[in-house]
Amino acid sequence: MKALILVGGFGTRLRPLTLSVPKPLVEFANKPMILHQIEALKAVGVTEVILAINYQPEVVLNFLKEFEAKLGITISCSQEKEPLGTAGPLALARDKLIDGSGEPFFVLNSDVICEYPFKEMFEFHKGHGGEASIMVTKVDEPSKYGVVVMEETTGKVDKFVEKPKLFVGNKINAGIYLLNPSVLNRIELKPTSIEKEIFPKIAAEEKLYAMVLPGFWMDIGQPRDYIEGLRLYLDALRKKSSTKLATGPHIVGNVLVHESAKIGEGCLIGPDVAIGPGCVVEAGVRLSRCTVMRGVRIKQHTCISSSIIGWHSTVGQWARVENMTILGEDVHVCDEIYSNGGVILPHKEIKSSILKPEIVM
Amino acid sequence: MEISEQKVVAVIMVGGPTKGTRFRPLSFNTPKPLFPLAGQPMVHHPISACKRISNLAQIFLIGFFEEREFTLYVSSISNELKIPVRYLKEDKPRGSAGGLYYFRNIIMEDNPSHIFLLNCDVCCSFPLTNMLEAHKRYGGMGTVSAETANQFGELVADPITKELLHYTEKPETFVSDLINCGLYIFTPDIFTAIQEVSTHREDQANLRHLSTFEALQSPTRAFPLDFVRLDQDILSPFAGKKQLYTYETMDFWEQIKTPGMSLKCSGLYLSQFRFTSPDLLAGGDGTRSALIVGDVYVHPSAKVHPTAKIGPNVSISANVRVGAGARLINCIVLDDVEVQENAVVINSIVGWKSSIGKWSRVQADGDYNAKLGITILGEAVMVEDEVVVINSIVLPNKTLNLSVQDEIIL
Repeated sequence: MKALILVGGFGTRLRPLTLSVPKPLVEFANKPMILHQIEALKAVGVTEVILAINYQPEVVLNFLKEFEAKLGITISCSQEKEPLGTAGPLALARDKLIDGSGEPFFVLNSDVICEYPFKEMFEFHKGHGGEASIMVTKVDEPSKYGVVVMEETTGKVDKFVEKPKLFVGNKINAGIYLLNPSVLNRIELKPTSIEKEIFPKIAAEEKLYAMVLPGFWMDIGQPRDYIEGLRLYLDALRKKSSTKLATGPHIVGNVLVHESAKIGEGCLIGPDVAIGPGCVVEAGVRLSRCTVMRGVRIKQHTCISSSIIGWHSTVGQWARVENMTILGEDVHVCDEIYSNGGVILPHKEIKSSILKPEIVM
Repeated sequence: MEISEQKVVAVIMVGGPTKGTRFRPLSFNTPKPLFPLAGQPMVHHPISACKRISNLAQIFLIGFFEEREFTLYVSSISNELKIPVRYLKEDKPRGSAGGLYYFRNIIMEDNPSHIFLLNCDVCCSFPLTNMLEAHKRYGGMGTVSAETANQFGELVADPITKELLHYTEKPETFVSDLINCGLYIFTPDIFTAIQEVSTHREDQANLRHLSTFEALQSPTRAFPLDFVRLDQDILSPFAGKKQLYTYETMDFWEQIKTPGMSLKCSGLYLSQFRFTSPDLLAGGDGTRSALIVGDVYVHPSAKVHPTAKIGPNVSISANVRVGAGARLINCIVLDDVEVQENAVVINSIVGWKSSIGKWSRVQADGDYNAKLGITILGEAVMVEDEVVVINSIVLPNKTLNLSVQDEIIL
C-alpha cells in the first residue's frame, strides 16, 4: 500500500525553527515530525511513502535514507515546480500512486499529529465501500475551520462548510484521507483545493465518508499549537502507560527526556516537557510546557515555561523564559535575562530583557 | 629604488555570515558585501576606488564567507578591471589585525611599499590617492582616515602634525568628535607591530599563571594569542608614539550596517555618479521611456513601462519588470522582481523574485535608522493586488494577502 504526505513549502509559520531545518525534520517529542507519520504508516503495511515537497527535498530525503533501510520502507519525493494547492500534488504523483493493484492510498497533511488509527480507517473504508474516506476530529470552536457536515451513523458526508457563522456541526477535516485510485481521475494537474473542489463532488455522489478520529489531534504547524500538541501527545503516552515517560522525584506530570540528556540536582521538570539528545540541564532549573531541542544547555536556577528552545542554544543562569518564547538555532540568552514571548532568529545573543512579545532578527 | 616604481596593494575586510545578523533579512540569501548599492555590489565601490590608485598591484578580499560565494564575482571583477582580485577565507576568527597578519605572505608577494586596509561596509568617496600622499608626508607606520561627526568620536589627533594621539573604542563619555572612518594605510612595519602584540600577550599569559586572581581580572583572557584587533590592540597602544597619523576627510561617510542604511548609501552613490559617471544614470521623459526624476539606476535588462514614473533615488536590478503606471520613490528593487500596474513603492527594498501586485502600496516613513523605518521585503515575497504594506519587514517566501503595518512577518 502507498501513502502521500503533503509536506508543502517553506514552513514559515514555524520560523525561526524552520530557518535552520526543513519543517518535516523539526523534532516533535524528540523525533522528526515526519518520522511520526512514516512509522505509523509502516505499522499498517504501507510499503512506499511519497513526499509532496517543494523546499529542500534533497535535505529531507538524505536524512530519511537511513530510515528507509531501518524501517524497510521506500521513501521518494514529488516536487512541485509551482504551488499546486492541496489536491494538485496528488495529480503530480499519480504515476507513483497507481500501481495497478487497485488498493487505496493514504494522504496525510504533514503537520498533523494524532494516534494515526490507520488500521481502523482501512476497515472503515472497506466497510462503507465508497470512493474516499476522510478523518474528522471534533473541535470546540468549529467556526474557525472548515466543518464537515455528515450523517452521524454512517459517516456519509453531506457537505463542507467553510468557517460557518451558524452551527452546522463540530467536526473538522483532520487532514488524513484514504482514497481509491479512481479519485485521481477527478484531479487535474493544476492548483486545486481538495476541500473546495474535489471532496464536494465526491460527497455529492454520496461516495465520501468521514470517520471520527479517536484520541487527540493537533496541527502543529505553528508554535502555540506545537506546544499544546506536545501536551496531548504526552497525555496519550501516559494513557498507554508508556515506559518512555520519565520518572523520578524531579519529574512532574508527563515528561520525555532523551537518554543522553543530563539533568542536575534540585531541578523540577514538567509537566509537558520534552528534552532532546545531548542537552544539559544544570542544577535548580524549572521547566514546564516546553521543548528543549538537541544540544541545548540550560544553566542553573533558570525557569522556562511555554517555550521552545532551539538546537544548540544556551540559556544563562537565573534567566526566566516564558509565554511563547521561541529560540532559533544557536541562540544565547545571557544570565539573569527575562524573555516574555521573544521570538529570536538563529545565531543571536540576547543581552537585554524582552518585556513584551517581540521578534529579534 | 624609484618611488614611482613602488607597488601598493589593497585589502578589503568583508566579514562573514554569522556576524552581520543586522543585515537580515537581506543577508539570508546574499553575503552582505555582494548586496547591490546603486546597481553594483557593495564591495564594488571600494574596489573601484582602489583601482584609481596608481601602481596598484593586487586587491585582496579577506573574510569568513565560503569561497564559492565570491568565486564568480572575483573572477568577473578581475577581468573587468584588469587587476588581480583575490578572496582569502579566514579559517578561524583572528580579529581584524590578526587576519591581516595571517595572510601577510600573500599580501607581501609583490613587495608593496604600502598596504591599504578598507572595511567593506563603509560608504564614502574613498579619497585614497590623497590619503596616500598624506601618509607619505607623515612618514609613520600607519594613517587612519577620520571625519568630524556628531557621534562620540574615538580619535584624538594633533591639529598641526595630525598625529594620532589617543584612540578609544566606543567611548561613553565625550573624548573627541573625530570618528574612525574604517580606511587605513600601513607600511609593512604593521606586521611587526601585530606580531609584537601577539608575543606580548603570550608573555602576559605566561606571567599570569602565577596569579589566578589576576587572570580573572584580565580583559584579554577571553582571546586566544593570535586574535588581534586593529582598534584596541594596535591603534590604542601605538597612539601618541609618532607612529600613527590621521587623514581628515570632509566628504559624505556612512557605515552600512542595516538594510535601511544600504538604501541611504545607494542614494549617496547614485548622486555621486552624477559627477563621476553620469552615463550610468537613467534618463527618460515619459514619452518613449519612463519618466525619470532625480538619480536613478536601471539595469540594461530591466523593462520599465513608459507610463511609470521612477525616482528620485531608485535602483532597479536585472530582469525587473515595472508595469504601466507604477510609481517608485527612494527604493532598491532587486533582481527578477515584478512590479505590477499602478503599484506604488516608497522608501523600501524589494527582495529578489518578489512580486508587487496591482494597485498595491509598499512604503515606509524613510527613517534609515529606525528598526522599521524602511520596509524590507525578503526574497520571493508576494504582495497581492491592492494590499498595503507599511513600515514592515517581511521574511522570504511569504505571501501577503492582507495589509500590514509596523510588523515583522516571519
